[in-house]
Amino acid sequence: MPAVVVVPAMVWVTLLLVAGGLVRARDVQQRVVALDLLAVVAVALLALLSCFWDVGYYLDAAVALSLLSFVATVAAARYLASGGPFG
Amino acid sequence: MISIVLDVVGAVLLVIGLTLMTISLYGVLRMPDTYSQLHAQGLATGPGVIAVLASSVATENAAVITFAALAIAFVVLTSPVSGHAIARAAHRRDNTGG
Repeated sequence: MPAVVVVPAMVWVTLLLVAGGLVRARDVQQRVVALDLLAVVAVALLALLSCFWDVGYYLDAAVALSLLSFVATVAAARYLASGGPFG
Repeated sequence: MISIVLDVVGAVLLVIGLTLMTISLYGVLRMPDTYSQLHAQGLATGPGVIAVLASSVATENAAVITFAALAIAFVVLTSPVSGHAIARAAHRRDNTGG
């Protein structure tokens, strides 16, 4: 894919990542929603880096980051719902 | 020839994915309620990141495409589950008043 497409896309995703930091959450659930969104934006940024450099190992990091964000989101949600990750 | 076609397909998928993610982030920034934010986040972010990952078919690199397919499968599996977990936690907290 030509760099004239990928580089503005990477700049745009980075701007999305910055704008996601501006989420003003009023309670904890909204913070968890914003965290999940930011993790997904970071996965997209890693995929774009993989496209840009034409190497595969950025996608390893993308898969691992999506796994970690899933586990973090589910653990935080269960903690919020019932006071413990297994309760 | 096929390279140009794949480049165009990748660029279109990239634009679709970035548009969806922008809409999703704008929804999370603007919506007042947890459930409304979760609606914006859960419905638009998953297809957006799937489109961005699918745009890596334009690289014509077998390892990149395989890992992108793996990541797409993982996002398809986990995005609804995490959205449901957040929604259930918000529902329980609202009902118990804590």
